[in-house]
Amino acid sequence: MSGLISKMIIVSEDEDEGDSNPFLFLGQPVHDSVLNINHDYRYLRMGYYVSAHAETFGVDVTPNCTEIMDAYRNPLLIEKAKRHGLRTNNYRLITSLGSEIDAPAVLFAVNPFTNNSMKVVDSGSKLPGMIKRMSMGARFPVSLHPLTGEVVEIIQMFGESTNEETSEFTKKFYDVFNIPICKLIVQIDDGGVVLNHCEPALKKEVKWDIVHDKVRQIKQGV
Amino acid sequence: MKIACFVEAYNFIIKSERIALMKFKSTAESMGHEFEFIYKNDISKIPEYDALFIRATTDPSSSAYIASRLAEQSGLKVIDDPHSIRTCSNKAILHDLFHKNNIPSPESILFHGDYSRETLDTIFTTLGLPIIIKTPYTRFSSHVEKASNEKQFIEISKHLLRKAKVLVLQEYVQSDFDWRVGILRNEVLYLCKYCIPDGGWKVRSKINGKNVWGDTIALSRDSISPGLKELSITLSKCVGNGLYGLDVKEINDEYKVIEINDNPSIYDGYEDTVDGDIYEKIVNALVS
Repeated sequence: MSGLISKMIIVSEDEDEGDSNPFLFLGQPVHDSVLNINHDYRYLRMGYYVSAHAETFGVDVTPNCTEIMDAYRNPLLIEKAKRHGLRTNNYRLITSLGSEIDAPAVLFAVNPFTNNSMKVVDSGSKLPGMIKRMSMGARFPVSLHPLTGEVVEIIQMFGESTNEETSEFTKKFYDVFNIPICKLIVQIDDGGVVLNHCEPALKKEVKWDIVHDKVRQIKQGV
Repeated sequence: MKIACFVEAYNFIIKSERIALMKFKSTAESMGHEFEFIYKNDISKIPEYDALFIRATTDPSSSAYIASRLAEQSGLKVIDDPHSIRTCSNKAILHDLFHKNNIPSPESILFHGDYSRETLDTIFTTLGLPIIIKTPYTRFSSHVEKASNEKQFIEISKHLLRKAKVLVLQEYVQSDFDWRVGILRNEVLYLCKYCIPDGGWKVRSKINGKNVWGDTIALSRDSISPGLKELSITLSKCVGNGLYGLDVKEINDEYKVIEINDNPSIYDGYEDTVDGDIYEKIVNALVS
């Protein structure tokens, strides 16, 4: 988060943390800036609605809906990451079942409803069937990333994570994407960390003590 | 200039839609522009164009949203832009937008599934019966139901809440037609009546087990009443500067907005019947 904020309210799914919970918040007009704490900002989920509600009332909100969609739609994530100097590999968007594709690869469904969609495919013969399922019969694209390193999942919380090896990357991700809580799927190779995907963290995966500390720091800075 | 028109195969199935798409192409070319249809496997080529016109169904979950956002980031002129897609695709967000901007619309309440006696009483006192129940992602009159009593309301809403976190409950407003006001860059582009079919209660109604569309009656955009024009432009300005289709009820000379849509239907022989220059005006908006 950057910039001076005169007054900010915390809307959190964690009852102990927030000034308001999402259900109450959605029923009220909004006058102050909003920090929206949620483990899941997917479109049509409560985390998304909180940000959308705040935006409709013309106040600053973290994250805003553009940031949410940029992070959660895989091609938008990768293109934005590239523009900001985060490493990515040569992903391809597969849109038809007859596409020529190579294994090994890491696949992600490109629709905002699917969580935990990652599939690692070692064999080329398994790819067509996998893509058919993940694309829901070619209705949605599938994002294919070459497998070149070790696949690692990181829970990112305000730029922090429990994975020291990726701490610099995680901080930069947060600076670029402004998503308070999410799960990052990366590959680690000799060159460092390669971003493949961003999706909601499970609530139980989030280190809420880290979140609480960060929120306290933000509140003190207001 | 090079205009990309983002479509999906289904856009070419209905003859009147197919002809309208070809009219866009021939109009643009007659004005000296290139006009190419692109599909989701062409998304990576979007930066090669000067403008993107989306005719595939838009929604933040669709490939069209990705195309729109990539085009915006590449500096293209875009219809429909990402903000308009996000706002208009979601009826819960429109509910907020109408309240925030004092847009006259049927009474409505957001509902998360609280079936306490107090909440139910509030709903029926505020909205009366029958009551309209919508999912946020309704389009073409789908996922819009009408409940005539409390038992029906509970059954329908519980069913719809299986897939939606929130529902929009709305006062039922009976009418024979909805005004459809086409708006481009905050000016009236076309005017139609979308009629409710006999025996139905919405523009696309299920009658004797079959989906039936009501008639479309086009009128000159110059014939729009001052009240409807002012309301339509006020609302479109709340969303942006794009291409929109507003659905409005007229009751006793007063207007109530039902919704504002991005990506409005433009079919040959329907919206373009009276004001045939809508193709030229949209192409102009893409290149200027």
